[in-house]
Amino acid sequence: MIDITVNGVRHEQVEAEPSMPLLWVLRDRLHLTGSKFGCGMGLCGACTVHLDGVAVRACQLPVGAAVGHQITTIEGLSPTQTHPLQLAWVAEDVPQCGYCQSGQIMSAAALLNTGAAVTDDSIRNAMSGNLCRCGTYGRINKAIKRAAAASKEA
Amino acid sequence: MDLARRTFLKQSATLASGLAVAFYLPPSLAGTDPKAPAAASEFEPNAWVRIFADGTVKLVVHKHDSGTGTHTALAACVAEELDVNPMTVQVISPEDPFFEAYIHPVWKVFSTGGSTSVSLEYDRLRLAGATARALLVAAAARQWQVSPASCSTAEGRVLHGNGRHSLDYGELVAVAAHLPMPEHVSLKDPSQFKYIGKLRHKRDAAAKVCGAFQYSLDLRLPQMLVALLQRTPVVGARVLDFDARAALQVPGVRKVLAIPGRPDVLGGNQESVAVLADDYWSAQQGRALLKVQWSDSPLAQFASDQLPAAQAAAIDDPKALRVPSLSAGDVAAQWPLAKQLLEADYVMPYKVQNPLEPICITAHVADGAITWWGGVQVPSSALEAAQVVCKIPKDKVTINERVSGGSFGARESKYWLFEVAYLAQQVGVPVKLMNSREDEMRALFAHPATFHRLKGALDGQGALTALQLHAVSPASPEQWEPGYFERADHMDYSTTEAITAWDFAYRPAHLDLAWVRHESQVPSGWYRSVSFIPNVFAVESFMDELAHAAGRDPLQFRLAHMHDRPRHVAVLQQAAARAGWGQPLPPGTALGIATNQGYTSFIAVVARVVQEEGAIKVQKLTCVVDCGLAVSPGGVEEQIYGGLMWGLGHALFDRMEMKNGQVLQSNFHDYRVPRMSDMPPVDILVLDGEPSKPGGVGELGSPSVAPAIANALFSLTGVRQRSTPLDLSKRG
Repeated sequence: MIDITVNGVRHEQVEAEPSMPLLWVLRDRLHLTGSKFGCGMGLCGACTVHLDGVAVRACQLPVGAAVGHQITTIEGLSPTQTHPLQLAWVAEDVPQCGYCQSGQIMSAAALLNTGAAVTDDSIRNAMSGNLCRCGTYGRINKAIKRAAAASKEA
Repeated sequence: MDLARRTFLKQSATLASGLAVAFYLPPSLAGTDPKAPAAASEFEPNAWVRIFADGTVKLVVHKHDSGTGTHTALAACVAEELDVNPMTVQVISPEDPFFEAYIHPVWKVFSTGGSTSVSLEYDRLRLAGATARALLVAAAARQWQVSPASCSTAEGRVLHGNGRHSLDYGELVAVAAHLPMPEHVSLKDPSQFKYIGKLRHKRDAAAKVCGAFQYSLDLRLPQMLVALLQRTPVVGARVLDFDARAALQVPGVRKVLAIPGRPDVLGGNQESVAVLADDYWSAQQGRALLKVQWSDSPLAQFASDQLPAAQAAAIDDPKALRVPSLSAGDVAAQWPLAKQLLEADYVMPYKVQNPLEPICITAHVADGAITWWGGVQVPSSALEAAQVVCKIPKDKVTINERVSGGSFGARESKYWLFEVAYLAQQVGVPVKLMNSREDEMRALFAHPATFHRLKGALDGQGALTALQLHAVSPASPEQWEPGYFERADHMDYSTTEAITAWDFAYRPAHLDLAWVRHESQVPSGWYRSVSFIPNVFAVESFMDELAHAAGRDPLQFRLAHMHDRPRHVAVLQQAAARAGWGQPLPPGTALGIATNQGYTSFIAVVARVVQEEGAIKVQKLTCVVDCGLAVSPGGVEEQIYGGLMWGLGHALFDRMEMKNGQVLQSNFHDYRVPRMSDMPPVDILVLDGEPSKPGGVGELGSPSVAPAIANALFSLTGVRQRSTPLDLSKRG
């Protein structure tokens, strides 16, 4: 049994061993299925969530290591699903199959959280751990730039 | 699925066109089935249109969407003619996936694939929308006592007299449902299109960016068990015994079951042992503790690095099946006359599709019926699994279709449907079969490794006089179409893409192109762009070799050997111009060009490579596409981008190897696929093609990329690379 905080909500006595990967706790215990399973080895990024605002691979993080930290998933990125990245993703029509996009957006959000300049280089560095098999990298690049510009104006 | 409704659909709409008979549920039937809608509350003029009295419009898309945008593009074809907005109406999968109208018009099975969804369904779907619209107009005209010709439609309403009269489609359902089919239905002139040719967005992006979109993996049902399978590590091995004691000690693990193989069924599953648990994590821990004793296998010595030699030997083996795909003149007579003779062998390895959502499917067998949930790309295979494994007939098979997280051919396999059907029947509760990435990598459904041998003769003017090609590969379709090779021509059209009369671009006077069948006994499968990939790699690389040997420009050399191919010539010339072909290049930079045609579409790709600080990289890909009418231009652009990325993967990364009958690669650390950091800038131009007919694009983009990069590398380094993945460190 374990206590964790996800998207600002405290979940007590969740039925999980500390060694259980956070991804499966999110998906199978809390029924937050936006974070996806792609490789189970931290190689594809489909399970990316935030631990205190930093991108981590939930399939590689034992839930015990997340205790006492703020976990944010795609479901909690914006209470109204209108994070600048989500709006930009729709505006650029990024998703094809869409399966990788939760992880892509969480990695992009972590990049924006750092306050670093959004350039082709910083985007490439932040996003190259997230695989997309359909081929959305070009539109992801555009969407991140669009969101960064919108955040600046706001 | 509502079975009463299915039965009625079947009995009423007798023609496979799906357009023949107006359909409504008679009161008698509605009365007997509490779930059936009342007689006049619903208007279903054909297999693709459902309009309800409350104004709800549902369009049926009978093709699987694995991210390819079929739900948007096909809905747009119906919606355009019906005059509703394809972005806001509901899109549903067929209530009965086995209704005749939904059968693939060429393959005669219920399936999605081959880049055919838009190109082959375009006319029919427009007609379906137009027919429904004509009936609604007729219903309104009757109500207003005016002529149908004086009415117009817009955004789900019929209008008359400058807006004096206006009725929502839903208000016309009761009347329209009882009207006879119109004798004549006219389609819009393309100049009137509001959606076709103009769509820049797809329907479901908003749900896909907030984690709400439901994939097969996300399904949860009461009592559901998750199954993870220990499949045979060596192809063909059988389960002798297994020890499940430790696995069953894992909390959450409920059952361990052996699944019999179905070698009697083409494409059927190999033997395995399944761990069934409450969730994936339990099943994974249980599977790790499972001890299975496997039998020997006749393929236990199989090694993929020995394949090229065996495939080369098949070319000279008189017993091997050799099927000419394009012949002209007499190549043998030309060899002695040649000024120059070139010969070269090209090799491509096994490649794995790796959709990001691993295969996942849920089945529930109860009361003599089976219900499926998931991304079922080939409903016919789900039906076959039900019939073969569970002895369940067609009218007891229900599919709750979901968009899948990519396919690229992977979901055209059958093994998982057979496996889960067996488990579901054994345990009686819903079973969700999940593949790990390792399972996906070792599914034995890879794109087959291939070997190509080419020979070409040049005359004194540097013209190609004779060309011979032997394309060696296993057959694909026999898995799917028993008796395929009993046909008169023995042709396997899935292995001869780009080397037949209609899609081979070059016409020297003497041609001998042939497919040679070589079976390794290791199963292989469908893969995005299929045999275009190795055939175009070999032909477009060899054309480059010939051009250089002839001392001619590779673009001009290609153009000189094309006849009556204006669309092909146009994409080549425009791609070359956009990429700066023939212009001075900075030092350490080179271009390579290649082209292919398929699915009635054309593409030319120019790759630009550069050597910077010793390292060579692909700096840019430029391509020009003619796909006729682009129904959804945004969708076309992204399909081409995806195809180019796949081509880059073929050029630089994709390679699955086998040793001792086992797949060596296991996950993305030892099987690389393109990441954002690998993808160069891409310039895509889609020409305004012939407006009457859309061509296919899903598989158009990849084949020319590997030869374009190989050709650019030759220009840069002087080293000709004839096998993939290409080695960027090779120098002259």
